[in-house]
Amino acid sequence: MKIVGLLLVIVGWLMPVLGLNLTSSNTARLILSLIGIATCLVGILGVLNKAFMKSAVWKQ
Amino acid sequence: MPLRKCLRAFPAATLVLLVLVTIPAWSQSQPPPPSGEKAPAAGAAPTAPSLSAPLPVKDASPPSAGDLAKGDPGGTLTGTVNDVAVSDAKKGLTLGDAVNQIGQNKVAINFVWTLVAGFLVMFMQAGFAIVETGLCRAKNANHTMMMNFMVYGFGLFAYWVCGFALQMGGVGALANLGGTAPLSNEYTINLFGKPFGLFGTHGFFLTQGGTYDVAVMVLFLFQMVFMDTATTIVTGAVAERWKYVAFAISTFFLGAITYPLFANWAWGGGWLSTLGTNYGLGHGYCDFAGSGVVHAVGGLTGLAVALIVGARLGKYNRDGSSNAMPGHDIVIVLTGCFILSFGWFGFNPGSTLGASGNGALRIGSIAVNTMLAGCTGSFGAILYMWIRYGKPDASMSGNGLLAGLVAITAPSGFVNSVGAAIIGAVAGILVCLSVEFLDRVGKIDDPVGAISVHGANGLWGVISVGLFADGKSNYGGSWNGVNGSVTGLFYGDPGQLIAQLIGVATLLGFVFGISFVFNWLVDVFVGQRVSAETELAGLDIPEMGALGYPEFVLKNHRDMAPPGGFGAAVGA
Repeated sequence: MKIVGLLLVIVGWLMPVLGLNLTSSNTARLILSLIGIATCLVGILGVLNKAFMKSAVWKQ
Repeated sequence: MPLRKCLRAFPAATLVLLVLVTIPAWSQSQPPPPSGEKAPAAGAAPTAPSLSAPLPVKDASPPSAGDLAKGDPGGTLTGTVNDVAVSDAKKGLTLGDAVNQIGQNKVAINFVWTLVAGFLVMFMQAGFAIVETGLCRAKNANHTMMMNFMVYGFGLFAYWVCGFALQMGGVGALANLGGTAPLSNEYTINLFGKPFGLFGTHGFFLTQGGTYDVAVMVLFLFQMVFMDTATTIVTGAVAERWKYVAFAISTFFLGAITYPLFANWAWGGGWLSTLGTNYGLGHGYCDFAGSGVVHAVGGLTGLAVALIVGARLGKYNRDGSSNAMPGHDIVIVLTGCFILSFGWFGFNPGSTLGASGNGALRIGSIAVNTMLAGCTGSFGAILYMWIRYGKPDASMSGNGLLAGLVAITAPSGFVNSVGAAIIGAVAGILVCLSVEFLDRVGKIDDPVGAISVHGANGLWGVISVGLFADGKSNYGGSWNGVNGSVTGLFYGDPGQLIAQLIGVATLLGFVFGISFVFNWLVDVFVGQRVSAETELAGLDIPEMGALGYPEFVLKNHRDMAPPGGFGAAVGA
């Protein structure tokens, strides 16, 4: 799960960066940037955090 | 009859008046040539005086040696033509000497401005130290102070060895500082036919690549204290349970690699700053003083380490509900907030790297924006807490002030005062929402609110440039190599917002990612968290060998009450 979370974070970053060369439309770039940011946040708060929560000290 | 007389006299009076008005005006616009001189032919350019020609010094009426010997209590005799450096004593003062002195004065003003601003930012370390220590429990005071104290040493050393070179080694000549020409080599790759600057390669140990240079030294000092701010943010997010050796390794890596790489991309001529020239996205990623480069980098690294280290013992119950763990000294917390807001006047206005030339006089506007956003940030937070919980919470008011300051750091050079006030107010509310979210939903323990103050509001500050930049700032005619002024979405340029969002994605993806991977490795090989016994006892003795407050004996309130209770003691 930790690796998946990390991959999501990296994919979320690369999405808008690579998107710069896929399209010259500002609207498309804006949408790609927002999706990329959302993917990063899901990776950090949704997946990575959940993975660490499984072994959280307060659950033991 | 008198009326008829008046009507007859009116044209004559008007004529006389016109003549009286026109003749002097005409004579002023056509000055006669002075006697003995020919009027210059129309279209002939005046010849420029030779720079090496001696100047008649006596025309400047310098004070005599006798006058100077009497002293100058009024300050009118000190600083005259006598003080201009002369390159050839035999020839005396020339126009070239005077012009060189003007140039050196400009650079001197900018050196002093940048250095003093850097000294102010350095003093912010004291503010961070006491804010974080005050928000922690007394049993961890020495450990928290020592992290904030040594972050200066570890960070500075790492930055001197390689951080500065990676960050600014290819920035090129900075006009305000009179050059920095030795910082001339950026490692660049070509992707999809566009150059992507990745890191600088001049300036290791401040000597390599000809960087033993006065302007480079000024730039180093200023950039170093910024980097140090980023590293000190992390210590707050994982206070009260971070192993000191892990802190030292993590800080070194942040100062040597993570921070410099992102700072290069934003400020050192790297690929984020060239999104404007390469892809037509506004002026590329714009971060005037570092909401993203400094605060979001620190906040997101803090988040990465906080995930790995986990929550403090006793912070969460088995059902996931959280317990309040109040700090031990709210007085030093708010004092620290004041110190930080004072230091921020070095952070933001100092980022012009000068007070003279290239639009640097905008420092007045930048200082006011900074002040306003801090004010509205604390307003936003205090109102939110007052309405939601019925009390104006002191620590959150302080965090609101800092959140406003963090958020205005990136846009401070590009927005007007109304934009600054709005950005600060949003930040004040955002910090409260973020603290609640991380605590209740994310179960991420952040004793001082560093992730919310610096991470969340750092990102908000970056985005706000793309919204509120008003297109009125002009620092020498261009920014990041794109002519004109930085303009946000609300003032007509959606491309700038996209550049800012790509910066946000990079912060979340690259900065968080690399920090997470490195600190995960530290956790595997060294261990990030202290033992449960150490944590319960307090980190001062086990980790540092001394208590922060050795003469304090922590007692239960009931134990301290006199026989019969407090009421009996005061005769109530």
